[in-house]
Amino acid sequence: MSEQMGPVGLPVVEVTHTFQFSAAHRMHSERFSPEENARIYGRCNNPSGHGHTYRLQVTIRGPVAPESGTIEERARLDALVQDWILERFDRADLNRLIPPCYGPTSTTEALALCLWEILDDLLPSGRLWRLRVEETPNNFIELNRTEMDRSAGAGLRPPMERGQKASEG
Amino acid sequence: MIHLTKRMEFCAAHAYANPAWTEAENRRVFGKCGNLHGHNYVLEVTIKGEMSPDTGMVMNLSALKALIAEVVMDQFDHKHLNKDVPYFQDKLPTPEHLAVVIWELLEPRLETCQGVRLHRIRLHEDGSVFVDYYGERSADV
Repeated sequence: MSEQMGPVGLPVVEVTHTFQFSAAHRMHSERFSPEENARIYGRCNNPSGHGHTYRLQVTIRGPVAPESGTIEERARLDALVQDWILERFDRADLNRLIPPCYGPTSTTEALALCLWEILDDLLPSGRLWRLRVEETPNNFIELNRTEMDRSAGAGLRPPMERGQKASEG
Repeated sequence: MIHLTKRMEFCAAHAYANPAWTEAENRRVFGKCGNLHGHNYVLEVTIKGEMSPDTGMVMNLSALKALIAEVVMDQFDHKHLNKDVPYFQDKLPTPEHLAVVIWELLEPRLETCQGVRLHRIRLHEDGSVFVDYYGERSADV
């Protein structure tokens, strides 16, 4: 186990922390007529809105520092998520919180892209590794570093204008 | 290639303290985790291999269970990780280090099982934190 005969380099691990927040939303895209919205989004288009207890899993990846036994940013991960996500998204209306640059309405896809950008901005480059956003235990979205970098590189995900970013809202 | 996972639980105590640091420094970095406390750890061992055409199995789960029991459970379950487990004499018993130690214990034993390789160690410390280790090491030390 010790360094003298062990493998070279520090072990690289992935650490996942789980959070939850409760929020309201309504699926409605301005790109469609009211009838089309009703057809596409069904019950989720209810004009009064509805809500979910969202479950969020944040995975960071990096070398384990021998003196702390952990990835450098893990100690402040809970506080980052608390200050930048839970404080704003818990007991809130997602339709007011997700800027249009992330999607036409408050789908879990748009929410996940928005949360990815917030955390990716706060953490050192490449540290955020995976994000899982569960709208319900039966429906969830996963984003990962490899695919997010690939879609950004292919121009599928244009870099956000600074003023638009949810992380600065 | 098929991935097969065996899930097992163990309960153990630990406390975080870096002996090179002052008490105040330890308190600042580790907070309440500096107090002796414990967890119900959930270990998921994932192996990969091809299905045997004779048995229909990647590996016999009872053999895998016996191996994990011998290599991990007997040493870790209902123990004080800092005191009773030799790997943590000079290493903090964080879930990250636990996952790496468990990988290093299991991987050579699984190498002797034909056609099977260790894929991932996932260790849940509680319901909200888990660590994944795939045997990877950084080049920059």
